[in-house]
Amino acid sequence: MPEMRYQRLTRARARSTFAAAFTSRSSLWLGDDHLLSVDSTGYSETYKRFYFRDIQAIVITETNRRTIWNGVLILPPVFALVGLMMSAFPLRQNVGAAIAWSIIATIFLVPLLINNLLGSTCTSQLSTAVQIEKLPSLSRVRQTRKVLEKIRPLVTAAQGALTAEEVSERMRETVRRTPNATLPSPAAEPSGVPPILS
Amino acid sequence: MSLLIQCPKCRAWLLEGIFNQPEFSPCPACGTPLQIEVFPAIFRKTGSGQSGEMILVEGESSCFYHPQKKAVRPCDGCGRFLCALCDCELHGQHFCPACLEAGRTKGKIKSLDNQRTLYDNIALALAIYPMLIFYFTLITAPMALFVAIRYWKSPQSILHRTKIRYIAAANIALLQISGWTAFFIILATRR
Repeated sequence: MPEMRYQRLTRARARSTFAAAFTSRSSLWLGDDHLLSVDSTGYSETYKRFYFRDIQAIVITETNRRTIWNGVLILPPVFALVGLMMSAFPLRQNVGAAIAWSIIATIFLVPLLINNLLGSTCTSQLSTAVQIEKLPSLSRVRQTRKVLEKIRPLVTAAQGALTAEEVSERMRETVRRTPNATLPSPAAEPSGVPPILS
Repeated sequence: MSLLIQCPKCRAWLLEGIFNQPEFSPCPACGTPLQIEVFPAIFRKTGSGQSGEMILVEGESSCFYHPQKKAVRPCDGCGRFLCALCDCELHGQHFCPACLEAGRTKGKIKSLDNQRTLYDNIALALAIYPMLIFYFTLITAPMALFVAIRYWKSPQSILHRTKIRYIAAANIALLQISGWTAFFIILATRR
């Protein structure tokens, strides 16, 4: 049986930002009837398949990770620029140092530039009837929306489409039909859990 | 799992007004910008599991695993009779739990294949990384060559990959082995 051909949706990205070198890297691939999440350590790969017929929801949450990284990445270029100023003014003959500081500043400006060119950051999760799976490779809003544009027609072809109004209507209907005992009402939740919002 | 969706940040249950919007909408509880795409599967009712019907008439076909339960179909893998409890449907085929497990471990059922070892990467790593401390290559070069030859035909990643890593690993390992052979020959002939 020939193996299914997959189309790459996202590049591999570490599951944890601060342990990028040691954790597995996750990427997302498009198959004929499913999404494939691949977690790779470099020496082995683990696969999770999300069939289009089973995907219930995709939740994208905008985060401020880009701002935080901007704050971190701006420091080295600032130090390099200070070094450049000190070596260049008052007009000394220290041209070599000035060139060195300019190169250092440029090198550190590249990740800052990339961080901003990639756009705002987000976290994404995919829900099925039995799991909520975080998709670490969908970490930029623009890229996530592109992926969503690609998979939406496929999920719709497998399940049908729902408008915003239909979702609201069916949510209300579901809540009405569900017995109070199984509803996640404020009384049923442990303390500290926020109430249902409508 | 609930039919409803929670805000990933504040865990508030979200009921309406925030779904299938083209842009981010703030969570009504914490204000976190959310974009939630909901599909009809969320409203699909989950069927309750079946336990298998007991045999009432003597002589009726029974399940291989539960002799007291009525057989409903044969396993597509081994042909054993299965009751409703043992009948596991997978992409239109019906398997018994044993065939399902065997299919998963032996990689015969592709859709259950959930892990692969990347021997080509292992061979390449064995060939390249020890070069940082060159003396290690005396041991790792034959290992890299062995892995490249031994696992040449084993299943690779389910994502499309060529054999280029195996080829590169084998060639680098052969070069290292040649280098060491030459070194030992020179060492031996000097005496």
